Amino acid sequence: MPLFEAKDLHLRFGDRVVLENISLAFEAGQLSGIMGPNGAGKTTCFNVLTGRYKPNRGQVLWQGDDITGKSPQDIARLGIARSFQLMNLFDEFTVFENIAIALPGTRRRGHDMIARAYADTALVDEAYSILEKVGLAGRADDEAKSLSYGARRALEIGVALACRPKLLFLDEPTAGLGSDGRARLADLILQLKGELTIVIIEHDMEFLFSLADEISVIHWGQVIACGAPAALKANPWVEASNLGRLN
Amino acid sequence: MSLLNLLPHLLNGIALGLLFSLIALGFMLILGLMEQINLAHGSLFALGAYFAYAICGAKLPLPPDVLVAWAGVPLGLRFATAVVVAPILVAPFGIVLERLMRRTYGRDPLYGLLLTFGVAMVLEELIRVVWGTRDYMMPVPRDMSGGFIMLDLIWSTYRFWAAGMAVVAMGAVWFIVERTRFGAMVKAGAHDSEIVQALGIDLTRLRVWVFVLGTMLAAFAGVIMAPLWGIRPHMGVDAVVPAFLIIVLGGVGSFWGAALGGLLVGMVVGLSGAYASEWSMLSMYLLLIAVVTFRARGLFGKKSVLEA
Amino acid sequence: MAAARTVPSFTPAMLVTWILFATVPFWIERVGLYQYLGVEILIFALYALAYNLVLGHAGLPSFGHGAFFGIGAYAFGLAQSNVVPNLWVCLAVAAGAAAIAGAFVALFISHRRGIYYALMTIAFGQIFWFIAIKAHRITGGEDGLLKIERLPASLGITTFNLGSNIALYYFVLAVFAVVSFLLWRLVHSPFGRVVKAIKQNETRARFVGYDVWRYKAAVLVVSTTLSGLAGGLFAMAQTSAFPDVMSLHYSGYVVMMTLVGGGLVSFWGPVIGAVAFFLARDVIGSFTTGWMLWFGLSFVVLVLFKPEGIAGIFSGVMNGRDKIVPRPAAAPQSQAR
Repeated sequence: MPLFEAKDLHLRFGDRVVLENISLAFEAGQLSGIMGPNGAGKTTCFNVLTGRYKPNRGQVLWQGDDITGKSPQDIARLGIARSFQLMNLFDEFTVFENIAIALPGTRRRGHDMIARAYADTALVDEAYSILEKVGLAGRADDEAKSLSYGARRALEIGVALACRPKLLFLDEPTAGLGSDGRARLADLILQLKGELTIVIIEHDMEFLFSLADEISVIHWGQVIACGAPAALKANPWVEASNLGRLN
Repeated sequence: MSLLNLLPHLLNGIALGLLFSLIALGFMLILGLMEQINLAHGSLFALGAYFAYAICGAKLPLPPDVLVAWAGVPLGLRFATAVVVAPILVAPFGIVLERLMRRTYGRDPLYGLLLTFGVAMVLEELIRVVWGTRDYMMPVPRDMSGGFIMLDLIWSTYRFWAAGMAVVAMGAVWFIVERTRFGAMVKAGAHDSEIVQALGIDLTRLRVWVFVLGTMLAAFAGVIMAPLWGIRPHMGVDAVVPAFLIIVLGGVGSFWGAALGGLLVGMVVGLSGAYASEWSMLSMYLLLIAVVTFRARGLFGKKSVLEA
Repeated sequence: MAAARTVPSFTPAMLVTWILFATVPFWIERVGLYQYLGVEILIFALYALAYNLVLGHAGLPSFGHGAFFGIGAYAFGLAQSNVVPNLWVCLAVAAGAAAIAGAFVALFISHRRGIYYALMTIAFGQIFWFIAIKAHRITGGEDGLLKIERLPASLGITTFNLGSNIALYYFVLAVFAVVSFLLWRLVHSPFGRVVKAIKQNETRARFVGYDVWRYKAAVLVVSTTLSGLAGGLFAMAQTSAFPDVMSLHYSGYVVMMTLVGGGLVSFWGPVIGAVAFFLARDVIGSFTTGWMLWFGLSFVVLVLFKPEGIAGIFSGVMNGRDKIVPRPAAAPQSQAR
């Protein structure tokens, strides 16, 4: 049984069909990629998988349980975290607190109105271990909005990691990064790959092909191809789709 | 209560609703098309009423002999002058307000709300300083006042005049927004100010004109409401709160939503007045909450920056 | 081991505020003011602090908070004559009634934010205000609820008579100190930090697993409860309760106080704002009847040029750090970074 499965998802906005018949399956421990041109429905698909939108039809399964239509917070609590393409941070918090607030340890105490937050050193250590992973430990006390673009990208992933997910969705993590940033990100993802299941939306074919175990190509709101990178390379549809030749 | 007994309440409600719609319209123009909330709308409304009173009652800062001569002019003419001139006199306040608000453009809309709340306080206090706290009655020309009998019931004549004037003003606004180049520019500006600027339209001036139009509508509403509500410093709040509710009820950004929302509120207030006149104003809040609980954006609302 | 990252429970700003207030009865008459003004200021400072929990910390612009203050005031008076004339019971009823009203409102508005939140709170505020005016038999309508007594504060061993303004002042100060301490802790508690996170980014908070609706509802209820408590104290102070504190104007005043003082950036901002508001009323008011004109103008200027308010202007002095990070505590720092 796959860890996470989407069956036959349909989504309409008004009379526009955005997702049509999307089926995906992510095996535990694997790194799966989703690619496709702009406007193909990749991010919308993520939004359905993580609870932002309810599909008009279809099912989302987590470890075999039906979680279709559950709210984002319920899905997050199951151990499914995501990062955003357009960065979505707590801008006035420090880097440390961006991470600390997302830790399940903080969340479990969220209803406590009297205890002091972050008094627990174990929690602080946990936050620092994540900061180290994404390379931001030295900037823990800076406000998130003061960070450079690359550092904000790293924090974006850090916040998702802080949820301690079993499954991590990354929405175009390389967007706007230079080659250095990409290389560092690839290292991080390789490191994470052993620990959790990852799904990445990515434009950069090279980046994705070097990391992913399996790739799905989405176009016109449908999965037009799916398979191991090597197999997909031979598929003429895939390249055409990525270069924007299918319209 | 038979249906015939309800008729006057219903008709009065519709008349009241048209006036509410008118108050809400100026508010709507600024809110829906410029995404700015003008809590001072009520104060501009009140200023219109006070200016109209000053014009009609010949209580202007002018030389005494001019005033005496003016007071000799028939009331009908003075009233007509007030209807036209008072909004023009209030317009500069709107221009100043727009200038102040420029600093809040692009910031959290909350700042616009706070700013105009402060301005509303200032204007209301200004009215108290100039005119005192007492109530004034607005004189109405004899042909428009009094009552008439229809279906064995007595009807207030002025109410119908006021509703008629409201309909005319609303028609004019509809024409401006929907049928002129100016209206088209304003609507485009609401959605994408960059496009408007790229087309070579002077957005700064456009906003001033929208504010002038909105302000004059508020003042105009103030003039024609004055004989019905009386004139007192507090009248601005009495006007802006229903306007607020009507906009939310009708839906932000929808012209017909505002008109319909106003009518609905008027009718609900009118009809509930038939059963429990004490509590009739409460009904409009309950209506709002009922509608908005089930339709988050009101009856005809669109997604807007206000939800951020 | 990283150090715990918390704020201290007591800060210099907190102690300075309490001590300053404690000295007020000794000099307030010498500067030409009067003891009752101190009571009023403290009650509204408490109210503004409670209000700022919603506006400043949660970013929820309530424009109908006067309703909860007023409900507290009426509840205090009604409990006194209908339940039992015991200070603690009456204050608890005041806070409890406002909590229930707040919870009721929260049911309808907790999924909203921004201007729609403001609109809905105006609507609910007007409903409560309207009921207060029209329910003549219960509230006395526009004539108000009169003959509310200043009940004695019994502490088991001893009982304090709060009849005099000075005694009442110190009682209110004690309540103020306790509440401001608890609020300080709340703002820096896990709950407080989550609320602050929601203010900055509701979507992200949801995606890291927080039930945003519940937090927004809870913070409103806490705020209305304390507003009701302040209202109860106010009823006791003026020995009566009137609907005017529930009007849109008064709801706006508390917004003004909070902003003018600098509630958006400083924990103590609302207190400064309440002091500024009443001093403006009495000091400017002694020169001109139109004091609100000048206070309103300065409010407009602040919104335009310095939304951080008075505390923002003197941020160095008034512990402007409040909003920022919990700094590492003084504990030995052997951080494994």
